Amino acid sequence: MGKFNKGKKKGIPAVNTSALPDIIFMLLFFFMVATTMKEVDMMVDVKKPGASQAEELQDKDNVDFVYVGFPLDAAEGTEPRIQLDDQLALNYTQVADWKRLKVREGFAIHDIVTSLKVHEDVGMRIVSNIKEELRNIDAIKINYSADKTK
Amino acid sequence: MARRQLEEINAGSMADIAFLLLIFFLVTTTMEVDAGISRNLPLKFDPPEGWVPPEVHERDVLVIMANSNDELLVEGKPLLLEDLEEKVRAFFLDNANGQDNNPDMPMYRNISGAICQKNVTEIKALIASAPNEGMAKLYEGDLKKWEGKLQTVKEIGDYYEISNSSLIQLKNQSNTSFGLYIEVQDILKKVVNDLRNDKSKELFDVEYKDLDPKDEADAAKIAVLQILVPERIVEAKIEI
Repeated sequence: MGKFNKGKKKGIPAVNTSALPDIIFMLLFFFMVATTMKEVDMMVDVKKPGASQAEELQDKDNVDFVYVGFPLDAAEGTEPRIQLDDQLALNYTQVADWKRLKVREGFAIHDIVTSLKVHEDVGMRIVSNIKEELRNIDAIKINYSADKTK
Repeated sequence: MARRQLEEINAGSMADIAFLLLIFFLVTTTMEVDAGISRNLPLKFDPPEGWVPPEVHERDVLVIMANSNDELLVEGKPLLLEDLEEKVRAFFLDNANGQDNNPDMPMYRNISGAICQKNVTEIKALIASAPNEGMAKLYEGDLKKWEGKLQTVKEIGDYYEISNSSLIQLKNQSNTSFGLYIEVQDILKKVVNDLRNDKSKELFDVEYKDLDPKDEADAAKIAVLQILVPERIVEAKIEI
């Protein structure tokens, strides 16, 4: 029996962790492929509506996002607000100026889609005002953001 | 024997580096896919001098009203959201065979090559004698439409076309929820896509969604389908 006790004296051998980096890299690659970069830090809560006919947005570099939702910061009140990039807009008339500033070189303003990401409980008044502003500056291509449902 | 003396590179911290990268990506990225319903807003329109608004028959307009309590009023009657799809389908299909089956829904008329040709020549004459630039531009728009129809006749022969003043009008109130608005838009899009798909299968034997707008032959087919099942949605200004 002495033969078997011989190994025990050395203690438990270390777990081989040389495959650990491979596993982590695999996870890393999965996340790199499956996710996209966050555009902005959200300052409003947007619960998107669902739509069966929603289509994936193409050419995301040429899309501007307008967020409309309820402010996450309680100090901003409870009324729905518009977020443009990293700031809350004071009112909807800012949308036109903001959109004009975002025109990319080599594109006309009507080439660049404006994606409206709006909380489903927000009233249509604010959405309609934004659309009117966009129409006034010929930014006529819009996309109502919605989650694809069956 | 020399090989055995080579020391193994310590890869223990490799996992730490990978973890660091992993956590970085977890924090800076999101899973969500951007999807949505695309629409074009109507262009601004200043009526030029001498412009007469086209005659619109009451039967040609499907009015969908949504009030602040998220209730629907379609053609003046309350309607449940579940029944809207059927109603919109009826709008497109009830008289699609050219007969006057349902007097509340838009008529269809027969379009033939001769009619298109006649209109094209007439409009060309109008453009030549247009009183001002604005009117000429409007006529050119009409000309494009008729040339499109002529092309359609060339592709598929004579066809029935929904009355060209037919349209769907959406009316909202201040507190109509965006969620309901999207549901209505979704239903409209669904009906139009379904009908185009039916036509596409009947005429070209392909699914509508498989047509690629970047491909020339497919683009021609899409143009035909868009003429056969037009999507004309008008949004009224919010009043209250």
